[in-house]
Amino acid sequence: MSAGSDSRHDGVAPRVAADSPDQTEPLFELPAELAIDADVARRVMVGFIRNQLRQAGFNHALLGLSGGIDSALVAFLAAEAIGPENLLCVLMPYRTSSPESVEHAMLVVDQLGCVSDTVDISAIVDGYFGRDGAIGAGGLGAVDAAPLRRGNFMARARMCSLYDRSVAWGGLVVGTGNKTESLIGYTTLFGDSACAFNPIGDLYKSQVRQVAAAIGVPEAIIRKAPSADLWPGQTDEQEAGFSYPELDRLLFWMIDKRRTDDELEAMGFRRQAIERVKRLVAVSEFKRQVPPVAKLGPRTTGVDYLYPRRRPGSAR
Amino acid sequence: MAPRLGVVADNLATHREALSAARAGGAGLVVFPELGLTGYQLQDLAAEVAMRADDSRLLGLAAETKGLSAVVSFVEEAADHRLFISAALLEDGEVRFVHRKLFLPTYGLFDERRFFAAGDRLRTVDSRLGVKLGLAVCEDFWHLAVPETLALDGAQILINVSSSPGRDLAAVHEVGLGTAASWRNLMRTYAQLTTSFVVFCNRVGMDETISFWGGSEVIGPSGEAVFTAPLFDEGLHFVDIELGDVRRERIGLPLLRDERPELHLRELRRILAERAGIPVNEATESSGGAEPGGLETGGLEPGR
Repeated sequence: MSAGSDSRHDGVAPRVAADSPDQTEPLFELPAELAIDADVARRVMVGFIRNQLRQAGFNHALLGLSGGIDSALVAFLAAEAIGPENLLCVLMPYRTSSPESVEHAMLVVDQLGCVSDTVDISAIVDGYFGRDGAIGAGGLGAVDAAPLRRGNFMARARMCSLYDRSVAWGGLVVGTGNKTESLIGYTTLFGDSACAFNPIGDLYKSQVRQVAAAIGVPEAIIRKAPSADLWPGQTDEQEAGFSYPELDRLLFWMIDKRRTDDELEAMGFRRQAIERVKRLVAVSEFKRQVPPVAKLGPRTTGVDYLYPRRRPGSAR
Repeated sequence: MAPRLGVVADNLATHREALSAARAGGAGLVVFPELGLTGYQLQDLAAEVAMRADDSRLLGLAAETKGLSAVVSFVEEAADHRLFISAALLEDGEVRFVHRKLFLPTYGLFDERRFFAAGDRLRTVDSRLGVKLGLAVCEDFWHLAVPETLALDGAQILINVSSSPGRDLAAVHEVGLGTAASWRNLMRTYAQLTTSFVVFCNRVGMDETISFWGGSEVIGPSGEAVFTAPLFDEGLHFVDIELGDVRRERIGLPLLRDERPELHLRELRRILAERAGIPVNEATESSGGAEPGGLETGGLEPGR
């Protein structure tokens, strides 16, 4: 995507952890302009989790732990905010999920000492789409559903399970989506994006990696290729056609720093990449907003009835 | 402090406790942050927590200031029902003075103008401390004219109370927070240029998604920090200041003596006339300071 010849924007290789088995390979690539103060970020996010729960009248939280870096980081932050004994991590594999995903999720659970639970969503998903020639609840039209439909359904099956567990656990669902995937719309509406609040939603993937490394997320999780794990061998970067550092840099300059297309091109980004990413951002705008309500009455929620979520009396 | 959003009774109690602890610690001036009595991200709650400047709750708090000065901030409802973000000087049991926030940021993450009216008076106030104070609220200090005017009006201590949301964590910033770096630059600059003390009081805690970063400071008239509070931590901090530093600085560095407010005023009149497209000589005649030949004659084209 970028020419890569512009030395001003060369990535910095962060220090590799001392116990790293491979001293030559950097843990991850962090574009210089995306580097943040990880200590301040950690403090703000931990405070955010604590405040969101307290203001809602909760002291328990839960999240879907996938084995990937985003949910691992949120688990670390939540455990720090409320103590691991108040955090429930729910593993929700499908029968074709990579066994590595569960292994990595358990690394996090073991390291934090938090509570964990497993919901195998295979029966839910297969019950809808059918399996081995049998027709499921979704009828004939669901049998040959494309991966997109199946992936969205899985994400929503996980959401249903998580929200059901939230009642039993007496906690709020913590979101684990990052800024990169939100901006390009690489997320399932009311699926993985569903949550009570999200501490990492304003961090690009590269920044998630930076904070994850600083907070002690296991190296195997930081190193592996990010994947939605909706089908074997799937990776985010191959599906999007971008590497995360490239994509993060482009989004950062385009959105946070308000650079025009011409300015971006002058910085070394390819016109084709700029246009494609702009399209992804625009077409996914609906995923980042609450559904619109037709304006009819004198005061309408979100338009001219504007209260803080955490107004007095809002705690349960 | 970290006010509870919309819960005035709790915040009043917090103010009382802090006042009492400050008094016990020998404080002469106690400064609380912007909207410390109500919380910041009020939206439509603003009208519900608003109080008149003679509200019994505010008078009750004032009653606890015998022998000291305090600056507290609240949503003020005027007689005509406009709502202001106000900072009041409470002294010796009375509400001595109220400053209404002049500049209401309504851009980026801010939406103040939607809910509040902007004040239109900028005055210093005599205080029992023996010097004039200049009160300002947060965004007021992102406009040069405010600290300048307060200093010209005789203030020796400029007090800014804030609810500044922390943002921009880029690692290049000195303290890991872009907002804090900007404010620190501004406060030092104002203190130096006005050769005054600057007291900056910023809240901590969170309202909704916003984290307030604290980092309150007292800057001496030479532009050097006398005190810097930690980022994000709540606390009651005592700072000793030597008011004689103002005199020493102003004798040694007489910037304020050398200010040219008449020049400023003259040029401001011209600039305003040009902006409005009215003849410059008409607009500036009354200023009495026009230099011969120094003015353009004739009107400017509207829109020029």
